[in-house]
Amino acid sequence: MGLPLTGHVSVDDSARLIRNYRYAVERAMRALGGWIALTPDVSAKLLMGRHVWDLAQHAEAFGKRLPELRAPAQVSEPANERVVAFMDALEEPETPQQTVERLVGVYRVLKPHLRASYHDYLLRANAVYEPPTRRILSRCIDDERRHIVAGETIIGHLCATPALTARALAWQRRLERLLAAAGGVTGDGLPPSPPGAGDAPMEMSDDAREFIRLEAPMASWPVPQDLRDALDSLGSSLLARNRAALARWLAAGVSPDPVCLALGAATLTSHRLVAIARLGHQRLVKWRLEGPDASVTVLGRWVPGPEGWRVVTLDVARIELPGLAEPRR
Amino acid sequence: MDRPIAYDKLAREDRWVRMRAREVAELKVEQGLPPFPDLSTRDSIRERVHGILVGEMQAMEGAGRTVCDFPDAPWEFTMDMARQVWDESRHVEIYLRLLEHLGGYPGEFPETTILWRCACAEDAAARVAGVNRGLEGLACDVFNQLVHIARRIGDPILERAVEFVLADEITHVRMGSKWLTKLTEGDPERRRKAIEFQENIDERFNLGGIRQDGDHEAVSISVATDVRRMAGFTEEEIERLIKTTQRSQAY
Repeated sequence: MGLPLTGHVSVDDSARLIRNYRYAVERAMRALGGWIALTPDVSAKLLMGRHVWDLAQHAEAFGKRLPELRAPAQVSEPANERVVAFMDALEEPETPQQTVERLVGVYRVLKPHLRASYHDYLLRANAVYEPPTRRILSRCIDDERRHIVAGETIIGHLCATPALTARALAWQRRLERLLAAAGGVTGDGLPPSPPGAGDAPMEMSDDAREFIRLEAPMASWPVPQDLRDALDSLGSSLLARNRAALARWLAAGVSPDPVCLALGAATLTSHRLVAIARLGHQRLVKWRLEGPDASVTVLGRWVPGPEGWRVVTLDVARIELPGLAEPRR
Repeated sequence: MDRPIAYDKLAREDRWVRMRAREVAELKVEQGLPPFPDLSTRDSIRERVHGILVGEMQAMEGAGRTVCDFPDAPWEFTMDMARQVWDESRHVEIYLRLLEHLGGYPGEFPETTILWRCACAEDAAARVAGVNRGLEGLACDVFNQLVHIARRIGDPILERAVEFVLADEITHVRMGSKWLTKLTEGDPERRRKAIEFQENIDERFNLGGIRQDGDHEAVSISVATDVRRMAGFTEEEIERLIKTTQRSQAY
């Protein structure tokens, strides 16, 4: 017996599903593209940069298929207003501290759902008269599986504390509720997850483990010992707001007062060097002072001289309050 | 999502130190150093490669913003920009690895954001003129010279990797020329403004006479006339660029 000619969707329904997919894919592609600049973490930047193009190709393939189904080419259409609300929510996290929320929305909520939805449609698409759609779905499923594995690897890397893990989970739950309320991106309900979500091979072109390696901070900077001693001393003096000890490292005419004033009354309990950049013979040095209420980034420019290394400029570059990292509710 | 975003929203890890380009140049000149790294030593090549890495990162971010900021632009335009994001993200990885290869580290030199600022133009036509033709044109000059220097010093890793990046940049310039024409069809004023924006960028990236027409070994950045021709710049455009490099003699 040959292949069955039983069909589950009409041509018009197929075009509608493809417009619905294209809507979600196009918005995700534009969001990932826009987020690259808003995301500090190199591993996440590279991940997004790799996947923008894959998603563009998915949208292109869906959009090209539409005229073959008696519909205008390259048109996106949300299934309903709640899908729009879901995508709006997914796009919300924009602050530098919300990389985890950005990745969770795309890689733990949207992409697993897209993969499940594509798979569900593939199972129902007729093998005799819908191969053009089936081929597109198969390619998208393969890409999504690879993306999900890569995204999950980066999320695992970024969720370095229980608080971040909890935040990621809370955000995931919120988006999952919105997606369920929309009935998924097609409005037809949430299909079950297909098997084999976690077995996609890593490819060299988007190997998330390599992105993480490239993000690793320096274990120790190549600086002369006298500068290293000076940096340790100045960091401790900043933490203690010890003006006299600070002044020892400041060049003539540089006052410790502005920095001490900017540090304010925040409780700061630790300090670490986070950057040392060369500027000719000089060094630009960044410290991060952290405490339960705030973290403060201080930048100093060090110049070598007859009396050793001295700071010629010292500024508070940034003050962060952890509470601001929470996404809008 | 905010479209477009302000310049200062560009997000970085702690390991980077950001500084105005002018300030970097002035502080180096004060120390008796050239304002822009030449390619005479392995150290200066590393500094140049670090600068390129930063440029590639900002190019990736800029192309990503273009995908995001212009949802009403032609779909084929979005496709080209999405492709560019992918290319630039691979370039970032390539230069991160080249920096390792040269014994450097990300953040070893300050990051300047001139390139990113150019990528924030509000008009899509200005962005492709400024970034794809102005800045990617500069990339053609810089990479072509770097391939030559790598060959001379016997560094096949540097030579091969940068040669492939250069091939991508030529494609990006072509995309820029195509979209400058298509996006400004029937709107000469928009085209004039976009080209003016590109010429301002060209002038700025002559870096006070550092970019010149000349032998790879003799000038800090040599104008890659053959590569520019391949990328679709006209003879007139190349000649005009060379003329502007001659009148930007002091930083």
